[in-house]
Amino acid sequence: MRVFRDLWWFFKRERQSYGWGVFLLFLVALLELFPPYVVRVVVDESIQGTLTSGRLWMWMGWLLAAGLAMYGLRFIWRVLIFGASHRLARLLRRQLYQHYTRLSPSFYYRRRTGDLMAHATNDIQAVQVTAGDGVLTFVDSLVLGGLVVFSMAVFISWKLTLIALLPMPLMAMAVGQYGKLLHKRFLAAQAAFSDINNKVQENISGVRVVKAFGREEAEKRSFRKQSDDVVHKNIAVAKVESLFEPTISLIAGLSFFLAVAFGSGYVVNQELTIGQLTQFTIYLGQLIWPMLAFGFLFNIMQRGRASYDRIRSLLRVQPDIVDREGALKTIPDGDIRYEIQTFTYPESDQPVLREIRATVGKGETLGIVGRTGSGKTTLFKLLLREFEPVDGTVRIGGKPVTEYRLSALRQTVGYVPQDHFLFSATIAENIAFGRPQASREKVEEAAKLACVHEDILQLEQGYDTVVGERGVTLSGGQKQRISIARALLLDPEILLLDDSLSAVDARTEERILEALRNHRRNRTTLICAHRLSGIEHADQILVLEDGGIAERGTHTQLLKQEGWYAWMYRRQQLESLIEQGGGGNDDSQVAPLSSTTP
Amino acid sequence: MTIRRLLRYLQPHRKRLVLALVVLLLATGGDVAGPVLVKVFIDDYLTPGIFDPEPITLLAGTYLLLLFLSVGLLYYQEFLFHRIALRVIQQLRIDVFSKVQHLGLSFFDRTPGGGLISRITNDTEAVKELFVRVLSTFVQNIAMVVGILAAMFLLDAKWAFFCLMLIPLILGVMQMYRRFSYPVYRRVRHQLGRLNAHLSESIQGMNVIQVLRQQNRMRREFEHINGEHYEAHMKNTKLNGWLLRPAVDLISLVALMIVLSFFGVDGGESAVRIGVLYAFLNLLDRMFEPFNQMMQQLSFLQQSLVSAGRVFELLDEEETAPAQSGKENPRIREGRIVFDRVTFSYDGQTDVLKDISFTVEPGQTVALVGHTGSGKSSIVNLLMRFYPLQKGDITIDGYSLSAYSDEELRRRMGLVLQDPFLFTGNVKENIRLGRESISDDDIAEAARFVQAEPFIKKLPRGYDEPVGERGTTFSSGQRQLLSFARTIAFKPKILVLDEATAHVDTETEDKIQEALSRMRKGRTTIAIAHRLSTVRDADRILVLHRGEIVEQGTHQELLAREGLYQKMYRLQQGLTEEVESFGGVVQ
Repeated sequence: MRVFRDLWWFFKRERQSYGWGVFLLFLVALLELFPPYVVRVVVDESIQGTLTSGRLWMWMGWLLAAGLAMYGLRFIWRVLIFGASHRLARLLRRQLYQHYTRLSPSFYYRRRTGDLMAHATNDIQAVQVTAGDGVLTFVDSLVLGGLVVFSMAVFISWKLTLIALLPMPLMAMAVGQYGKLLHKRFLAAQAAFSDINNKVQENISGVRVVKAFGREEAEKRSFRKQSDDVVHKNIAVAKVESLFEPTISLIAGLSFFLAVAFGSGYVVNQELTIGQLTQFTIYLGQLIWPMLAFGFLFNIMQRGRASYDRIRSLLRVQPDIVDREGALKTIPDGDIRYEIQTFTYPESDQPVLREIRATVGKGETLGIVGRTGSGKTTLFKLLLREFEPVDGTVRIGGKPVTEYRLSALRQTVGYVPQDHFLFSATIAENIAFGRPQASREKVEEAAKLACVHEDILQLEQGYDTVVGERGVTLSGGQKQRISIARALLLDPEILLLDDSLSAVDARTEERILEALRNHRRNRTTLICAHRLSGIEHADQILVLEDGGIAERGTHTQLLKQEGWYAWMYRRQQLESLIEQGGGGNDDSQVAPLSSTTP
Repeated sequence: MTIRRLLRYLQPHRKRLVLALVVLLLATGGDVAGPVLVKVFIDDYLTPGIFDPEPITLLAGTYLLLLFLSVGLLYYQEFLFHRIALRVIQQLRIDVFSKVQHLGLSFFDRTPGGGLISRITNDTEAVKELFVRVLSTFVQNIAMVVGILAAMFLLDAKWAFFCLMLIPLILGVMQMYRRFSYPVYRRVRHQLGRLNAHLSESIQGMNVIQVLRQQNRMRREFEHINGEHYEAHMKNTKLNGWLLRPAVDLISLVALMIVLSFFGVDGGESAVRIGVLYAFLNLLDRMFEPFNQMMQQLSFLQQSLVSAGRVFELLDEEETAPAQSGKENPRIREGRIVFDRVTFSYDGQTDVLKDISFTVEPGQTVALVGHTGSGKSSIVNLLMRFYPLQKGDITIDGYSLSAYSDEELRRRMGLVLQDPFLFTGNVKENIRLGRESISDDDIAEAARFVQAEPFIKKLPRGYDEPVGERGTTFSSGQRQLLSFARTIAFKPKILVLDEATAHVDTETEDKIQEALSRMRKGRTTIAIAHRLSTVRDADRILVLHRGEIVEQGTHQELLAREGLYQKMYRLQQGLTEEVESFGGVVQ
């Protein structure tokens, strides 16, 4: 019942639909009492010989009228009640989506996409069923069931009613029990199915290993084993599912037996007419559904309540990062200054940054290098205010980033994340994602800057090629360059490139960096990279190690320091030589080495 | 066509299917007999007022017995049908999975993984619905309707005949529903798909949406789809309201009117027919529920047939992996590899290998160098027989590659991939990889050989340490070492290396290098080389450019040419000195 109370605000809001819907349900329930009554009249009058054909046709006419009326009313209440439940689903989905767009990135690091999807699909579905079928079964079992029992007891025989109804509660109980059991086993079957799904996924992604090691037969064996598990779990479901109908048959059969056995006794004692007995058994038939519904109702409400609780607790999650009161609307501009004693991610006790003090002048380029996990990306996240440092500040133009409005901050900072993400849309739409009204010329200009224009033209549909999950698969390097174009189109004051060129080959990287240098004069650029060639030309380079600054300076200065940077630089030079193996240049078959050797 | 092919899957279950049908018929018979018995009681005993305890007790006993019996049988047959359906789907799944195992890599190149996975799991799941529903709902309900009609004809042929007339009416409504519901249902599915796609994409790309300040636009877009989804659902609800339960309920009322009219018109003799009326009304009550149930399944049915079509399409795929030809069954004893004028193209248009010839003597190491697209990987792909040869020949120990059995090739040729893919399971299983002939001792030996044992021993459960999805709990260096152990466990004659480009921490890097050089010893090795040590130790280096060998020779020969190699050698020495002076970072 609690879920109905929790959803009361919605019932109130849709009181027209629910009010009329329930009223019509009530009318239908009343009308349903009519046909059995006609049966009784016809039977009794025919036995007494008082039934004329005129009277018969009159009754038939009434029956037809009642039938047509019920048909219309049934249609209308369905549209009213189910329609309202669809609107509830639509509303919840909208609220959840809007809420998702407000939550901070830290929320998305904590929660898995699959779970968040499940809330917006399965849970909303369960609540919708509660507001639709749930309300229907509730009203139906109470109103229809109540009316039928009332008619049986008052108009026919209360004694017979009691006797015939004896087995009925058993049915409601059994159905309720089965439902619970079924739900549990169904979840187990679902889990087995998702296991086999993962198995197939693994097999397909590891197809080369499977083939290279001749693992095909072993894979088939283990697939067979897992599919056996799926079958067993599903058979467990079938065992319960198959119980429903026989149980109904059994209980209904017993009820009828009791009604006829004891009813006959009353007929003999002349407490009942045969017509009334027939009417009674028809009513009995009409009771099966409300009883069943009563059993189902508990499961529907239970599931709906659990789901609605999950949705509500999700909607209560507050975004971690919000605008401060009186936050500045002005767009941040000027030098960037990091002053951080230590920074530790929430739910962790290892600091990822310590003693970071650095200034990037307006229009300068900063390079950040270091091993995986040395804290490079965290520096960007703090500037973007995805997290707020406790011990320290990040300032732009002298003011901490926390004093600006988030939207203002985001307007000034362009970010190309490590994991390039494209939407299922055309390439042009993806590049213009941040400014949908941008002209095709602007889009192409950005693509040219990111050195992806030619690649795009190679595709059959050019800029109108649909990419993303449901479109053409692009190479990692192409995706990275499209993400860069997406950020460049906005021409941001501050551009963050987070290892954004890792999948691009060295020559293209050089071309992109060259284009950036020319295009982004007087604007600030922060680049973090694994490949040192990407930051060679930066005005200042920070080498991070374990969250601290190990070395800093320009490329030339760092080479002179003969530290990690110098060592890594030479090593990478060498490796790129080997990788290119002399074929790196199109003009000659052996690569000219002098230009790239320090 | 699709249906017939699906039904063929029932073949192995025909005995059980016949049993289920027989049980179903018995159960239906028992079920329908109930009202008939009551009719006998009313007409022969109650109405005339004859109360002979013996036959009445007999009637009551039979009624209860039949009730319990039919309930038991009803349960049994329902369970049987479910089980058959589940087994059929399992077979279908195994068939399609097995089929995929034997498809060539060229198939995987052009088929997106997501779609493929969905065919093996989701589409077969949709077919499962079809089987469970067609088998259970349709067969049972048709049996029920037939049983009820039979009982009606037994009771009163004239009444039954007129009730029979209503069946075409119901079938007409069903046909109409099928016709109208299919497009509506498809629209609902389509909108649901769009809704979910937009949602999942938004969740995954939320940081992009927020950084680019597109929250409002995305909300509007979502709301638009949300609205269309609602419209489609409403349309579906309305259609169901017009044609499903309310319509069947109306028809069932018409049936009641027919029976009542006959009863009333028959007038005089009706006194003796009250029992028949009772039985008819009772049977009518049950006759319409099956139609309700069948109609509700109609829209699923069509959806499932589409899925089944997709599954069969995959089963009919002909792009299988290259297999053995001839019955010679040669063995790889020496490991002498010859590429003889091999030309190859993936798409039949651009050649990625052009007239490649070279020989690798037993025990030699050949390093392939060249930039992306130079043809290094294609040489490995052909040597591993991942793709069929088009022009030229590859021989091992004098026999053409195609003469070898799959087993011999996989046993004697060990491939180390760039991406060390780990399977869910444990460490031991990841080294064994389903090759039953490898004992636990072999596994430990292989792990020791590649020096993976120290880190495995440190794991809480050693060789039984569980490996999660994709092995993300292991560092990339550890994953590399495990993949070496898995390759070496079969003691291959030939080693095919695709060295990783990713940088791991230097300590592990040294271990990996050492393991690699130990693995190469005594084995014919073809390596796509990214590491200097591999190149330096190679007996021969092939420099590839655009599918051709542009330079080749030993390390010394190439050095003597005063080209690339001299330069590299100088750099190499410079680095070694630096490494020594910067010891802290390396060790």
